[in-house]
Amino acid sequence: MGPVRVTFRRTFGLARGLYTTALATAGFLSWSALAFAFGLEEAEGLRVELAPLWAVSLAPALPFLAAILGMDVWSDERRSGRIDVLLSSPVRERDLVFGKFLGVWAITLLNIVIALVSSLAFVRMFAPALLEDVGFVSFLPGVCALAVQGMLWCAVAVAASAWFMNSAAAATTTIALLSVIPRGAWYALVKWSGAGRSAFGDMPLDAQVFDFASGFVSTGALVSCFILAVAALLFASKAVAALRCVGRGGRGFLATTWFAVFLGAVATVLAVGLAYRLDIGLDLPLGKRAMRFSARTRDILAESRGTVTVTAFLERGDPRFRPLSHFLKALSAEADAMCGVRIGVRYVDPALDLGEAGRLDREGVRRDSLVFEHGGRIVGTLHLEDDCGERACMSVIERVSLPFRRSCVYWTKGHGEASFDDYGPFGLSNISRDLALDGYGNKTIDLTSGDAIADDCALVVVAGAKNEFSAAEMNRLRNYLEGRGGRSEGGRLLVLLDSAESGGLSTLLSEWGIRPMAASLPNARTLSGTDVVVRDFATNHVVSAPFVGQQMVLDDPVSFGESAAAESASAADRRQYSPLVGVDGTCLAAAVEWGEGGSKLALRPTRIVAVGDTGFVQNAPLRKYANANRDFFLNAVKYLSGRDVMTQSGVEPDLLVSGMDRDERTRFAICSGVAFPSAMFLLLSVLVMSRRRKA
Amino acid sequence: MLEVRNIAFSYDRRKVLRDVSFSVSPGEAVAIAGDNGAGKTTLLKILATLMAPESGAILSDGQDALSHPLRYRSQLGYMQESPALYEDMTVKSYLKYRARLKGEPDKRIRRRVGEATEICRLADVFDTMIHNLSFGQKKCVALADAMLLRPRVMLLDDVLAGLDVPMRESVGKIVSTVATFSSVIVTGHEIPDIVKWASRVLVLRNGSISSSVPAAGIARTEFAARVDKALKGGG
Repeated sequence: MGPVRVTFRRTFGLARGLYTTALATAGFLSWSALAFAFGLEEAEGLRVELAPLWAVSLAPALPFLAAILGMDVWSDERRSGRIDVLLSSPVRERDLVFGKFLGVWAITLLNIVIALVSSLAFVRMFAPALLEDVGFVSFLPGVCALAVQGMLWCAVAVAASAWFMNSAAAATTTIALLSVIPRGAWYALVKWSGAGRSAFGDMPLDAQVFDFASGFVSTGALVSCFILAVAALLFASKAVAALRCVGRGGRGFLATTWFAVFLGAVATVLAVGLAYRLDIGLDLPLGKRAMRFSARTRDILAESRGTVTVTAFLERGDPRFRPLSHFLKALSAEADAMCGVRIGVRYVDPALDLGEAGRLDREGVRRDSLVFEHGGRIVGTLHLEDDCGERACMSVIERVSLPFRRSCVYWTKGHGEASFDDYGPFGLSNISRDLALDGYGNKTIDLTSGDAIADDCALVVVAGAKNEFSAAEMNRLRNYLEGRGGRSEGGRLLVLLDSAESGGLSTLLSEWGIRPMAASLPNARTLSGTDVVVRDFATNHVVSAPFVGQQMVLDDPVSFGESAAAESASAADRRQYSPLVGVDGTCLAAAVEWGEGGSKLALRPTRIVAVGDTGFVQNAPLRKYANANRDFFLNAVKYLSGRDVMTQSGVEPDLLVSGMDRDERTRFAICSGVAFPSAMFLLLSVLVMSRRRKA
Repeated sequence: MLEVRNIAFSYDRRKVLRDVSFSVSPGEAVAIAGDNGAGKTTLLKILATLMAPESGAILSDGQDALSHPLRYRSQLGYMQESPALYEDMTVKSYLKYRARLKGEPDKRIRRRVGEATEICRLADVFDTMIHNLSFGQKKCVALADAMLLRPRVMLLDDVLAGLDVPMRESVGKIVSTVATFSSVIVTGHEIPDIVKWASRVLVLRNGSISSSVPAAGIARTEFAARVDKALKGGG
């Protein structure tokens, strides 16, 4: 049996028989359970995952546990004089140090496992809903993260114990090195340095555990932990060896020993620097929601150019901060890996970064938002209470950072349509300016001329035609929609109708599945007698899904139904008719997607969106109403022009809902944080007592 | 055979040992006597490689102990003045633990422990917790630990200190037994007891060996008288 194993067994066995261990275990369980209970309450209803939350609850208590478990392993040997017996044995110092370290680490791991099992048991007892979608495997990355961090803490505790003859001094030093100094430095940095806040928004030690527990492993952090642990153990063995260097004769040996320690420290710094320089982010397949991005997200990141700065505008104490920080860091790393757009991440705490927070306030940014800046100006904001996951973030990034593609919106003219360059109350200049900001050109098209519709046409808009389209014009529109004339894809048409027979387009629309109807709206809720307030948005379509909970205002709108055209379509054709918005079951806007066969439908479909009103995006209503009219129109244009990234959902976290009321929360905290640790302490104490009595 | 050549040692400015040289053959039990602070314990710690000498060499069977400390320690048994043992263990488990730590193969541990227990007469307290033992018994356990693997060199610091007369005689017999297979070096002040079994007494004065009194060829009383005289500075 090797000396490492012998020393490990001795250290492990000794720790089992100490009241100190029982006390440390109880303290650790109590602290971590109360932190977990508090974290659950804070994260209630937010997008926070259970496993990382649990792991982060344990992380701050771990240095204290390691300090108490490790404080005696060497200092007690020195105090009692047993060190001479050990050192006169034919064993290397490093073997003794490593064996003792393994003993302390094993007890620490045991504590982590007990904490996990007890936490899961109490969660199952008080909030079983939390464990419905979360398996035991989800917690393994968190356990691994704590084990890796615990390894480093235990190594440092053993090193401190080798240095001090006094156990209390060893424990105090360990706690200072592992908890007080790093956390104090981070707090000071965050409190008083804006640059520090940007660079270290999250406590690095906790963030490391959180990231690992979420399934996102930083190899740099992992390797650094190993390197630092080895360095701490090397230091410990040298400190033990230095005990032989008493007197003048030991000076030379002492000098070489400390020179070796110095070289070790330099090598450690270089190795840690190199590890972080060559850092690779790994996704663990164990976690339910490891930070893996969708194929669409990766495509956008690869194809986009420039720099987008994402600012998290919320307080650091917010439970959403760490998951958000984790997500942004992962997104930024993914962008770097894809060599496309560069995503810079900043944090602005409204309570601390007063200057920057004031600027964002003046820009009209709400707190608890993600702010996207490109080219020195704010190009998008997402509020955390709304959808601000991968899908929404990529939608913003895609909009601002994809390389410029010349695509134009062609507006028909000559039939009494509203004009995009009309700055009057009934013009569409406001909405066309928004289109220009999104990268679209605005052009008019005269269907009476014989020219083919240009290749740069993203979509054709018919904005409230009052006069009939001629047969030739209709044919040109049909050819365009069917992808004839050398076009490689089906056409895209946005029709705004002021009446069911507007411009004679009802026939064309009916051919593609949308049937305008003249029926008036029953029970319409109005603002001014004729306006209709629309609150029903279809959640299963990309155009309307983001508007749930908002409202649009239409002026005496036309309604739509599904035409019989689909029934006469050939079997190979695929068609999807989607009501988008409505009132009391009446559809006021509809979309249709139609193509030949599944592949054509998926890649090059014909798309038409019809809205039963032209006035809803005219200049006057847009100035008057604070509603979703503008966004709905822009979303429809985006859908028609093919920039429909929102249809590609990424990995979105669920909400954490424990279902516990106040009393249950209190009971949960008391049972897991007070009663169970106390029972553990009593049990371990009885075991220690019985062992001693038996002896 | 253990050879000590020109060992010197000083704590910063205070010279403790200067030019200490002697040798101990296998089967010999050499006692180092001297006043308090003469450097007996320091010398033994140096021989146990717990301290580094300022100069000099320690040769065990011709090999430099300071250059190959691990090999040397595998042939070494060391007992310090005050026995420092793991109080939470029984005698049996402690000796087994020590044997394992010293690298003894599992299959031989039982025999080694049994042998040491028999020589040190610990059979009665074999399963007793160490914290329940008397000081003398603890010293015997420490002695058993030192002789566990039949080392070639045994260093026993103040081996008789704190023991009553029967216990001193008992320990003396143990040392005599151990000396049949080891080069034994002991330190102590209990000269009347030591001369009963020591084969030679070295007197350490002013940091060096001032005299060496062999027991061979003379009666024990005469040997004691010569040692006493040497200690009083009579040469």
